[in-house]
Amino acid sequence: MPIRRAVVAGILLVLAVLIEVTILAPLPFPGATPTLVLVVVVILGSQFGASTGAVCGFVGGVLLDIAPPAAGTIGITALLLTLVGYVAGRFAESDDRPWWSFALLSTLAAPLVVLAGAALGGLLGDPRVRWDEVIGLMVSAAGYALVLGLVLMLPLRRLCRWAVPEAYSR
Amino acid sequence: MRDTRRSRIVLAILVLVSITLIVFDLRGGDSGPTRPLRAAGETVLGSAERAMASFVLPVRGFFESLGGLGDADARIAQLEADNARLQAELSTVANDRARVADLEALLGLVATNDYETVPAQVIAVGPAQGFAWTVTIDAGSRDGIERDMSVISGAGLVGRTIDVGPTTSTVLLIVDATSSVGGRLAGTSQIGIVSGTGRQDSLTMQLLDPLAVVDVGDVVVSFGSEGGRPYAPGIPIGVVAEMRGTEGQLTRSAILEPYVDISRLDIVGVVLRAPESAPRETLAPSSVGGG
Repeated sequence: MPIRRAVVAGILLVLAVLIEVTILAPLPFPGATPTLVLVVVVILGSQFGASTGAVCGFVGGVLLDIAPPAAGTIGITALLLTLVGYVAGRFAESDDRPWWSFALLSTLAAPLVVLAGAALGGLLGDPRVRWDEVIGLMVSAAGYALVLGLVLMLPLRRLCRWAVPEAYSR
Repeated sequence: MRDTRRSRIVLAILVLVSITLIVFDLRGGDSGPTRPLRAAGETVLGSAERAMASFVLPVRGFFESLGGLGDADARIAQLEADNARLQAELSTVANDRARVADLEALLGLVATNDYETVPAQVIAVGPAQGFAWTVTIDAGSRDGIERDMSVISGAGLVGRTIDVGPTTSTVLLIVDATSSVGGRLAGTSQIGIVSGTGRQDSLTMQLLDPLAVVDVGDVVVSFGSEGGRPYAPGIPIGVVAEMRGTEGQLTRSAILEPYVDISRLDIVGVVLRAPESAPRETLAPSSVGGG
């Protein structure tokens, strides 16, 4: 991965993780915490392709897994976001995808990640998982991801194009 | 075509690495191979969160005060009423204080709220979809905090520290499903285990004595661990809201309502040292009667 791309993606992911735990999580949003990191991973995957998307998902996931006050099993979010970044990259390989289709992709991915996270946690014996809350968390996560996707997609795309022009020269 | 193949290989490697991390983290526990990773997170990301919080907190306070504008009038009326009542009570305090001093001298007690604490502010919260009730506070080992220290607020017990970095610590809240605290019904010797339910408004207390007489509204305080860690004794936890199971059944449990409002945590205190229990002198009849 070229250095510039890595730097841009790294800065965006670290910022997204910090904003998610210090700003979004303490605010009393009903249901899930808005999954900013997931939306950023979808955008990065859609801009830089499937390999970079998978790497960005992995890095963002590990950061979320270890950023205090994380208490869950390290690796679960990393695994799920790796898949999300890869799928976003593959989805972008067709040229005729309008920009908002990636907002829809994150809307679809967010509740699936919530569900898969709860299922994996439950399978691995995490006593915290509350299945009666999962549906509400999935619905709210989808809603927040749609809003974040629609708001962030164009500005972050422009930022990527401006910061890493060589990724678009093909 | 080559590009697709490369991305598949990258994906496979990263998925394998993630699964390896999961396995190591589950197997390792506190001394496992992922421990340094977590410590690095607490140190590096914790410091970054602290820096972030210095920008965020004033803004958050502004938005929260905006949300409360409508309630301001009602609050002022409430506070004025409270003030009047407290003024009335104040006049009796001087008398009470003299009596308390007398009694304390008699029993050789230390003042109860003698916990040595470090104040800290909540700077980060875990995402709701992780189901964990944990928060990060902006004080760490440089402030004298270690693992397994009680965290309290003005209202009562908040939780205990589970991870400590140089300038930040992670607190496991009492409502987390993995938290359990020894509790005692205030005024009696009934003890039990207070566990989190994963919901922010309720705790369950498993009573050890199936014949215990418990009423709704009874206050539960922390029983205290050996050496005051992780939980210092005598910290209010909550009030009994509901009893489950009938008297005499093998296990009885109570639903508690915690004193601390988890959703509005802001400033907390970390108990560095619980008050040393003063040796009580035996009361001889002559010393009480005053001769």
